[in-house]
Amino acid sequence: MSPRQVILEARALERRFVTARPLFREATVVHAVSGVDLAVEEGETFAIVGESGCGKSTLARVLTRLIPASGGSVRYAGRDLGGLKPAQIRALRREVQFIFQDPFSSLNPRMTVGALIEEPLRIHRIGTGPERRARVAQLLERVGLPAQAAGRYPHEFSGGQRQRIGIARALASGPKVVVGDEPVSALDVSIQAQVVNLLADLKREFGLTLVIIAHDLAVIRHMADRVAVMYLGQIVELAPAADLFEVPRHPYTEALVSAIPLPDPGARRARARVAGELPDPTAPPAGCRFHPRCPYAIGRCRTDAPQLSPRDAGGRQVACHRAEELALAGLGSVAAARSPAARKRFDLYRQARAAQAQTDQPPAEGGPIQQGD
Amino acid sequence: MSQPLLEVQDLAIRIRGTGRNLVDGVSFGVMPGETLCIVGESGCGKSLTALALMGLLASPPLEIAGGKALFQGQDLLGLTRAQFSRLRGDRLAMIFQEPMSALNPALRIGEQIAESVRRHRGASHRAARARALEMLEKVRIPAPETRLDEFPHQLSGGMRQRAMIAMALANDPALIVADEPTTALDVTIQAQILDLMRRLRDEAGTALIMITHDLGVVAEMADKVAVMYAGRVVETGTMAQVFGDPQHPYTIGLMSSMPAFGAGAGRLVTIPGMVPPISAMPPGCRFASRCPFRLPRCEAPPPLVQAGDHQAACWRAPLDALEVTA
Ligand SMILES: Nc1ncnc2c1ncn2[C@@H]1O[C@H](COP(=O)(O)OP(=O)(O)OP(=O)(O)O)[C@@H](O)[C@H]1O
Ligand SMILES: Nc1ncnc2c1ncn2[C@@H]1O[C@H](COP(=O)(O)OP(=O)(O)O)[C@@H](O)[C@H]1O
Ligand code: SF4
Ligand code: SF4
Ligand SMILES: [Mg+2]
Ligand SMILES: [Mg+2]
Repeated sequence: MSPRQVILEARALERRFVTARPLFREATVVHAVSGVDLAVEEGETFAIVGESGCGKSTLARVLTRLIPASGGSVRYAGRDLGGLKPAQIRALRREVQFIFQDPFSSLNPRMTVGALIEEPLRIHRIGTGPERRARVAQLLERVGLPAQAAGRYPHEFSGGQRQRIGIARALASGPKVVVGDEPVSALDVSIQAQVVNLLADLKREFGLTLVIIAHDLAVIRHMADRVAVMYLGQIVELAPAADLFEVPRHPYTEALVSAIPLPDPGARRARARVAGELPDPTAPPAGCRFHPRCPYAIGRCRTDAPQLSPRDAGGRQVACHRAEELALAGLGSVAAARSPAARKRFDLYRQARAAQAQTDQPPAEGGPIQQGD
Repeated sequence: MSQPLLEVQDLAIRIRGTGRNLVDGVSFGVMPGETLCIVGESGCGKSLTALALMGLLASPPLEIAGGKALFQGQDLLGLTRAQFSRLRGDRLAMIFQEPMSALNPALRIGEQIAESVRRHRGASHRAARARALEMLEKVRIPAPETRLDEFPHQLSGGMRQRAMIAMALANDPALIVADEPTTALDVTIQAQILDLMRRLRDEAGTALIMITHDLGVVAEMADKVAVMYAGRVVETGTMAQVFGDPQHPYTIGLMSSMPAFGAGAGRLVTIPGMVPPISAMPPGCRFASRCPFRLPRCEAPPPLVQAGDHQAACWRAPLDALEVTA
């Protein structure tokens, strides 16, 4: 891999939330992001994975300055975002955009789809009125929606279509970086696949850098160039996607990977299961935060916190005392295990889809719109 | 060969007074001790099917428009409310996606389980409480004696799911219907719960209908599979048959859409468009509007026929050659 330009960089990044709990005398503090170092490179798809509550969304929000950091720094294109004034933050939005998980609640229900997509253009004073509306029509077409969609309201669209609207809106100002917080998680498999393809196409077409949060590891393996695995506010492993899934080096990564239910009956395998659940984030365990659940923990893990190692020759980083000595199990390939009959059917299907000569959009323009349930 | 424990024939469910059925001609069987996975995307009728079997359909507006569901020789669809409440939680149990929909927030965990044991088995207070504790141990809730006296909101999502499983299994049911029991959970907790369900099912020889949208979960759990699309079963067979020799274009498209099946890079081969709303559902094959294999004859509803070594509802099954599409 050739070294690329760093576009977004975090150093010793911290974000704390203080919550007053009426039952307790003292307020509790959650270290949602705790000492994160990372560098997103221009043009790559960088993924952040981990269990619910580990701090993925918070990290994404701090990285894009949707919320301020409590410590450390974020640099975008070499510029420190820490001291930005509100006007400068607005200007930053033009280049760094966000796609939200929930297409149902992230779009203002009282605005038409056209107005929603045009809004970022108006805010950044891009183009004249007619130019902006032409751009909206172009964006709608590009994300696979009919031009008439501009005059309708978000509730008239299905979940997958609303996510397309959210994507068109994020692209309107011509951003360089798009951060997606679970952009396909709420979608059904067949719709999710359409949106995954769309994001890949747009990334190539517009030369975007993507930062994607997801909990579906199969989706991440498919989309990402590099992956950061988070546990209780910290990055425990960071590596090129293929290597991370093939040969995990952190016990938590191994646990995540081995917990994926593979759609292959032949793969019902003996597994490295982790016991227990995510500890209370207000009182993270001492030493390695993963030690109470780690099957490989040794005495030292209870007291010494492992640091994320520097990038090795393969571009890998890991925070585990035993990373050098452990041989952890990765994910085999499902495709390889597939039967000849199944392979034949997949080939037939692919050919038939090619012959269908349709893009990933509803067969008829403005065709049936399903109400999401 | 023994008798099926449950045999569902031509189940149809609709909104009262409307034409097209939400669930249409659904048939499947479950043998004692067997696990059937019903898989399909949201809105395809999985939950309605489960609720109908449990006597829990919201009726009105929903109603059973036809069919039978023979459970140990008794037609579930004809039972009265009183008959159902005797059966539910006893020989027939249900596990939901959201445990709070099954657990009473105002009752301590132990009390809820014990109550069900007393009601169905006539056990004494003491015996029922002992059974509740035994069940919490079985589902491996840490510190079960303490948890017994806690309320549902004091447990984490994973623990609540375990508590609901404990309650469902307390009276040794012959059949459990589990509707997306792990969908709301993190992947490591999902793996724990699937392990648990597998172990308990195998120990007690309980039959299981597992409803999921995740083919990965199917591969983990199923003996048999029924793939549903828009209210109909489009393909059914053993797990090895459906995964090893998928026949229905929807099944194949769904598998192709999954990144886990792909080589890792490149574009996914997708299913175009989306499910039509029930008001615009084509009268013939319900998948026709999205199917790349569609022919003119697909305007008539395809019956479930032998395709390879199992069954698919497609005019082109067994799917072998690529004819020119319409
Ligand atoms: N506004 C807030 N106030 C207080 N605590 C918060 C706030 N936002 C997040 N947290 C806490 O910070 C931690 C990390 O939350 P975050 O939403 O970043 O997790 P996540 O990894 O995105 O989880 P999920 O997968 O569920 O979206 C959690 O413990 C959460 O409860
Ligand atoms: N109470 C209800 N009233 C009217 N329509 C319903 C009701 N419950 C479900 N439906 C409709 O029935 C169809 C099947 O729903 P459901 O069984 O919940 O799907 P699944 O569980 O497969 O996601 C959907 O189109 C849904 O909108
Ligand atoms: S440092 Fe110790 S406890 Fe932490 S992951 Fe490594 S082996 Fe496990
Ligand atoms: S019956 Fe026709 S439209 Fe339906 S799945 Fe088969 S080929 Fe496709
Ligand atoms: Mg989040
Ligand atoms: Mg459902």
